[in-house]
Amino acid sequence: MRLTSSARAVALLLLMSLGLATHALPPPLPVETLSVERLPEASPHWIWVFDEALYNGTDSRLFLYDGDHHRNLGQIDSGYYGLFALSPDHHTMAVSTNYWSRGWHGERVDVVEFTDTRTLDFTGEVLLPPKRAQGPPVTFGLSYSADQRFLYSTNLSPAASISVIDVAARKVLADIDTDGCVMAIPSLSRRVSAICETGKLLSVTLDDQGREVSRGFSEKFFDIDSDPVFVQSMKTADGALFLSFLGDVHEVDLSGSAVAFKPVWSAVAGSERGQWRPGGAQQAGLQIAQGRLYLVMHKGGPGSHKVAGTEVWALDMKTHRRLARFKIDVRKYGGAVAVQPTQDAHPLLFVTTENSSLLTLDPETGRVLYAEAKLGQSPWYLINP
Amino acid sequence: MQSRIDRWIERGSRGLASRTSRRGFLGLFGATLTGASLIPLLPVSRGAVAEASEAPKPSDDPTSCDYWKYCAIDGFLCSCCGGTSSSCPPGTQPSPITWIGTCHNPVDGRDYVVSYNDCCGKTTCGNCNCNRNEGEKPMYRLSLNNDVNWCMANNNPNYHCSISVLLGVAGE
Repeated sequence: MRLTSSARAVALLLLMSLGLATHALPPPLPVETLSVERLPEASPHWIWVFDEALYNGTDSRLFLYDGDHHRNLGQIDSGYYGLFALSPDHHTMAVSTNYWSRGWHGERVDVVEFTDTRTLDFTGEVLLPPKRAQGPPVTFGLSYSADQRFLYSTNLSPAASISVIDVAARKVLADIDTDGCVMAIPSLSRRVSAICETGKLLSVTLDDQGREVSRGFSEKFFDIDSDPVFVQSMKTADGALFLSFLGDVHEVDLSGSAVAFKPVWSAVAGSERGQWRPGGAQQAGLQIAQGRLYLVMHKGGPGSHKVAGTEVWALDMKTHRRLARFKIDVRKYGGAVAVQPTQDAHPLLFVTTENSSLLTLDPETGRVLYAEAKLGQSPWYLINP
Repeated sequence: MQSRIDRWIERGSRGLASRTSRRGFLGLFGATLTGASLIPLLPVSRGAVAEASEAPKPSDDPTSCDYWKYCAIDGFLCSCCGGTSSSCPPGTQPSPITWIGTCHNPVDGRDYVVSYNDCCGKTTCGNCNCNRNEGEKPMYRLSLNNDVNWCMANNNPNYHCSISVLLGVAGE
């Protein structure tokens, strides 16, 4: 067969291009091995981010987020209106929650589930009486005794009580009637306290079998009508801290046999009082070692106590002076909803926002170090590991 | 026992709310609400831009969070879920226990006692989320709290949406 000169040229080009293509191909990708990631060594710059899953509320979860490397490390499922308690050794996350046998209906199950925080493996459960409190996450909705032997679970049916759970035996030991008072704030070895509408704390002392030994009310430390405290309180070195709607700081010392209150001080001074108020879902976070209190703040009037923050304020717990106010870029992220500093010597400050962003801030300057654009649908609560 | 507690809570909260007028601060509070409907309606979101508020403009739209009856509601509006402002969607069950508010009707100038019942038995509706908190109190005053799941005592305690039912003029 005789080729024309143009056909020869085309054939030559084809051969050349095939040759070039063969030479330009990189080596094939290596074969992959299916595996499961393992968590690295825990870092103080990790944070648990609770997503209430507002729009499909039976499916809430906790994300574990790395504030240094800006990545979601994994998840613990938390069902319906989950409540959380990190064990004192930080190795277990306890979640109390509800399920139904048919998803949205059927047999109701109230349960505490345990997850190993070093592997995110499920490790066991305890069935609860069908009356656990269902509401937004709160620090003392579920709590461990200091020795990790007991878990205290808040009930609301609407009668208020606390279930005492033996963690090792995986069983409920007792149900403590709390006389309408709510939450389960642990102290000493076997004492648990609840907040009452009278403005007092009810404290119940238990024995090693979880049975009530004694109970007593504290003095009145706030007035529910003029300036109630948020139930969203914080652990301190010797007890708990409550913040009022107007920004008063109530510190309670739970380290002694008598419940003692420190002098009240205000985070909102002078003419700003009543104008600027704490708000959001997790209104405050405390850096215990540095003695710094971070508040989600907005400008508003009575009834605005859940309004998201346009600023985060930093206050010194010793001098009670405001150290800084950090403006949140509301147009970009929405207002601030939750705040939590890490507890190490070089802390980060985490803030979640209305647009479901998780911001990592420099706690000295308020500079946004990183913005995770969207973590879940309603990340309203932050827990330090 | 359960039903006795329920009845006690309902009676107590209705009585309390009818004695508690919030007329005094409604003008102040109205300013914080206007304009907030422009932002995404997560439950804590109303008011992040409240500083840029305009004059209060009451809404008569029961699918709007600014509707006057919703002054202490927290949840998905049943008006957007197959119900109305005072009726539950088909196939759901109203909660027998409730939280209470007192809302000012700008049309007739009266304060009304409002019962905020939840509608229960299906998962969250997810439409028209609305969170307003006039006179709302923390969980330790349960009858004035809108955070807890008021479907808690229903056979199926899944929360679906919230309604507001007028109980009468406050103080009468």
